[in-house]
Amino acid sequence: MVAQPGRTRDAAGRNAPRGNVAGIGLEKLSYRGRRFPGFVKRFSFAVLVSLSGIYACATSAADETEARAFFEKKIRPVLVENCFECHAEGAKKIGGKLRLDTAEGLRKGGESGTPMVPGNPEESLLVQSLRWEFDLEMPPEKPLSPAVIQDFVTWIRMGAQDPRESTPAVSPPPDANTIAELAKTHWSFQPVANPEAPIVDDENWPRDPLDRFVLAGMEKAELAPTSDAPPGVLLRRLFFDLTGLPPTASQVADFAEEYERDGQEAVARWVDDLLASPQFGERWARHWLDVARYGESNGNDGLSRNPSFPHAWRYRDYVIDAFNRDVPYDRFLIEQVAGDLLPAENDAQRDRQLVATGFLALGAKPAKAMNNNFEMDVVDDQINVVGAGIMGLSVACARCHDHKHDPIPTRDYYALAGIFKSTETMWGVAANEALTAPATDLHVLKAAAKVPPPKGWKETVLVIESNTGKPKPPPKPKWEPGTPLAMGVRDKKETADCQINLKGESKQLGDKVPRGFLSACSLPGDAIKVNPKASGRRELAEWLTRPEHPLTARVMVNRIWLHLFGQAIVGTPDDFGVYGDRPTHPELLDHLATRFVAEGWSMKRLIRTIVLSRVYQLDSAADLRMVEADPGNVWLARHLRRRLEAESLRDSMLAASGQLDLAPAQGSLIRHRDILVNLAGNLHEPSRHRSVYLCMLRNSPPPSLSAFDLPDATTVLGKRSSTVLPTQSLYLINSPFAVEQSLAFAGDLLKTDPAREQDRARAEAAVRRALGREPQSGEAERGLAMIRAIEPELATKFSDVEECRLHAWAAFCQGLMATNEFRYVD
Amino acid sequence: MNPNLFSRRRMLQTASCGFGYFALSALCQSARAAATYGPKLSDRPSPFRARAKRIIFLCMSGGPAQMDTFDFKPQVGKKPHPGSVVKFYRHGESGLAISELMPETAKHADKLCLLNGMHADTGNHAQSFLQLHTGERLRPRPSMGSWVSYGLGTENQDLPGFISLNTSKPQVYASQFLPPVFQGTPIGINGEDMSQATIANIASDHLPASVKRRQLDLVQAMNFDHQSLRPEDPGLEAVIQSMELGFRMQMTAPGLLDISDEPASVLEAYRVGKQRTEGTCKQSDFGRQCLLARRLVEAGVRFIELNHGSWDQHKNHRRDLTANCEATDAPIAALLSDLEQRGLLEDTLVVWGGEFGRPGLTPGNGKDETGHNANGFTFWLAGGGVKGGHVHGATDETGARAVDGKVHFRDLHATMLHLLGLPPNDLTYRYAGRAHRLTGPEGGRVASEIFA
Repeated sequence: MVAQPGRTRDAAGRNAPRGNVAGIGLEKLSYRGRRFPGFVKRFSFAVLVSLSGIYACATSAADETEARAFFEKKIRPVLVENCFECHAEGAKKIGGKLRLDTAEGLRKGGESGTPMVPGNPEESLLVQSLRWEFDLEMPPEKPLSPAVIQDFVTWIRMGAQDPRESTPAVSPPPDANTIAELAKTHWSFQPVANPEAPIVDDENWPRDPLDRFVLAGMEKAELAPTSDAPPGVLLRRLFFDLTGLPPTASQVADFAEEYERDGQEAVARWVDDLLASPQFGERWARHWLDVARYGESNGNDGLSRNPSFPHAWRYRDYVIDAFNRDVPYDRFLIEQVAGDLLPAENDAQRDRQLVATGFLALGAKPAKAMNNNFEMDVVDDQINVVGAGIMGLSVACARCHDHKHDPIPTRDYYALAGIFKSTETMWGVAANEALTAPATDLHVLKAAAKVPPPKGWKETVLVIESNTGKPKPPPKPKWEPGTPLAMGVRDKKETADCQINLKGESKQLGDKVPRGFLSACSLPGDAIKVNPKASGRRELAEWLTRPEHPLTARVMVNRIWLHLFGQAIVGTPDDFGVYGDRPTHPELLDHLATRFVAEGWSMKRLIRTIVLSRVYQLDSAADLRMVEADPGNVWLARHLRRRLEAESLRDSMLAASGQLDLAPAQGSLIRHRDILVNLAGNLHEPSRHRSVYLCMLRNSPPPSLSAFDLPDATTVLGKRSSTVLPTQSLYLINSPFAVEQSLAFAGDLLKTDPAREQDRARAEAAVRRALGREPQSGEAERGLAMIRAIEPELATKFSDVEECRLHAWAAFCQGLMATNEFRYVD
Repeated sequence: MNPNLFSRRRMLQTASCGFGYFALSALCQSARAAATYGPKLSDRPSPFRARAKRIIFLCMSGGPAQMDTFDFKPQVGKKPHPGSVVKFYRHGESGLAISELMPETAKHADKLCLLNGMHADTGNHAQSFLQLHTGERLRPRPSMGSWVSYGLGTENQDLPGFISLNTSKPQVYASQFLPPVFQGTPIGINGEDMSQATIANIASDHLPASVKRRQLDLVQAMNFDHQSLRPEDPGLEAVIQSMELGFRMQMTAPGLLDISDEPASVLEAYRVGKQRTEGTCKQSDFGRQCLLARRLVEAGVRFIELNHGSWDQHKNHRRDLTANCEATDAPIAALLSDLEQRGLLEDTLVVWGGEFGRPGLTPGNGKDETGHNANGFTFWLAGGGVKGGHVHGATDETGARAVDGKVHFRDLHATMLHLLGLPPNDLTYRYAGRAHRLTGPEGGRVASEIFA
């Protein structure tokens, strides 16, 4: 058995306070069992040879008490957490006819035979299956940790005492007690601790306290860190992580020299420069825009209509600016949730705070037509972006029922819903398509410049009469053309608490719930009460950013860690609930969260701390034995090799071709266009600006980015996929963007001394420019050989000698930009 | 990490065709499923008896009016009530009653298996459309085409297993949490000119093919060098393989999508390029879609969805319904004939239907406006092991609700999977802490009554 990664559910079970877990009564157990429908598991217990067990084992009374306590403490919680979904009353189909919620069931076993030979763990089917030996692998998704399996071994050796009744009590409905119990036991609802940095064997290795937490984990798993990344690798990683752009070959050379001379001081200097560059905000804003499900159109409303959001880009610019100015994260959140309710010293600040509330207005909405729930759909999106985005909780499930697994009752949902229902959401005129969404007001900005459409501007996309499909004249806009407007929210004149919508239906109403927050996260001295005269967003923002809030800081430091390592401490960054992953390094997470809050919620400071740590600077190369011992890299003994995201790939191509325009793009392609995007054909235009400024129309993403796992912006997305698809290869081989960049790249190369004698130097320059490093021996020759081989073939297509040469070189440049080396960080 | 898992991973990664290493994370989280249904596109035999090998889904979005197409509701009793307002005729040996608006499809009456007892949960377009495609109406889930390619892979290694023609929103062809290799590949977005529709970046004439091959050889040589220094990372091999697959796709797909090699008689039979737009009936070049479907089926694509809309004729019911029928009737008939002639119909399941149906108009009362009805509507199936000339299920006298032989979307899904030889309620994938399936928590009932 190789070292077991700690992401299994049990890891946290063991971290949770024992008393609570062991103290759960039978009601709790059967309740949990009932709530995990076991319909979909497929078990192979039945195929196994049945083992006949001897079930007798005499023990003294004292031993028995000890064994029972052991069961309560170590065994029962694991059974509840990992097995009841399929092996308990209430499971839709009892897996392998084996029930583990009663002593009798565990003793008798199911189709595959008797699970245990008390006193003889090695002969016990249960232990074999927990070890994933032979074909029998339980729990089926992931093996439990070796420590937990050892507990079972110990328990069976002690005689497998099981004090439970033979049949469990009748399952009660979920009630306040069970929810409170979950809130008390689930790790992410517990207060953030400030753990001491652990003592490690290799005292010389850690550079920052955070390194100690990581090293301690490695040492426990009997792993050792790989070597530090060489300077070239490190600088490329720093550039991509902090700015999303590659370093040039000469920057790499400079850094290598300084690194050799000054070591970490040199790293700190470069890091500070990168953090201070405007490209930092452009890179990190994009991460937040994924969380904020940022889009510049509504996306298909279900009736194939996709109205534009011509003013959404202001929110994008707000986020970029906030990261560049290092607005503290708590302030950043307050502005987005309640910016319209904050005092402002001047018009610019007022504008900025109003724009920030776009966070709540940008959601993708289903059509209003035939949809009684429309208003609550808007509220649901807001609850979801606050729940999953800020707190890492899928609160939205509670719209229809008490949350199936997290301690979030429907009442909590409607307590939050009351806040957003008392809020007016302003998305604009929805392309004058009332069946999609009724037109709303917008924030009118005071300090922002008035930018009228260009002279002679005429909208080419027609407004269509819904029923006849015939064009109609666009209505006269409410504002003068060019008025600076922003999406966002403000309090309604009439505020009110919300009634529960039974099963999520607006027409079936239940109790009225006072506005409030999540009961599972009640904070010490919790006295924030919603002002009945206001929506409650101000108080919600305050509550979310209380230093004691158990989730807000944890969720954000986890997001930051994810973007710097390509893997997060909690593998499900948007789900810190019961079904989310457990932290691989719970103490590290709390250590970082504590520091984050203590250092004024400064995101730049936290990022700086992490990138200067030893663990961040590890090499991604590692020997095979290390990889086999920890294939998922749970213990961070090496740095994950990462692929460039869509934006970084495109920006790198522009950088290599020399076409990159680092100036921020102004506004957006659709800033003057309140239109149905679906009627417009392709709206995207070539751009040389950084990718973050491209027009992010939902369901019509920029073609130069869409092949590489761009989020669809309909929901919070903390972690993008990193897929490998043939359509990506097609993009690199055939896309107009790749072809244009390769031609520009080649054109540039051929500008300097076009003499053929210079071709070798030219090929070397191309490698340097594309890959940011010196060419290896033979590399330039190989490229030249290809160029020479294809030139005659191209001559039939391009009769002009210079044009033919340009295309031959472009083929080489395009090839360089399609290599794995180009597409990966390291 | 379990040693079995690792060796299994090893095996997948070295076995075949470049998809072996897709989505390690997905594999790790679902080792058990992966052992049976790995994240590979390679062809897999059905675990059970398969009556069909592939599916063509004729998606009629907007809610086709069943009482004026396939569910004949004559007036009974003295008081006028909602029912059919167009003429129906009996067709074929089976004597199936089919509306006068579908004269060409009616010629294939003996191939059709009508499901007149369909029902769904909501009359809301967006939600019901999602439920039809994914089994779930409120949140994003994998599309049925993704489930099918997850279960069966594709017979053709140069093409995706699931293609959606003239498609609408990504949510209906998305693989969501299934490995992305099972994502549907869209060709043509709703409302675009289908004759121009293609796979993004599938072709470019900026370089001749031979030059592209030399270029790719250079890229791969550099990739091998790069990989040789990073032997611990199997992901790089997947990228190398996907470059080759992309290259092969650009060789195969454009020819398939280029229908200029079809004889004029075929183009005419399918009514390629014959557009009909009227009110809610939008141009979709359904004839081209049907012809492409046949070509893709022949090339080994597992699941093909075609789209025509919108059948949401609230006002001008008669006019717009007539237009919708006209736009689709002959192309569908041509597709059925063609499949039959080529011997493909017996193992190709053709499915026709939309997200719900409509209440009937009452003859003689002058009204011409219909709404939505999810309580009773019609789908039809053909080929792929189902009875022809057969009616399963019924609605009540006014067609308002299904009363007999009821088939919910999840039952339809179960039936489709079963016909493909997949275990409908056991084809699962673990995600977010529990196993998911197309048929949802309730599970689906296989409508075995309709098997031939």
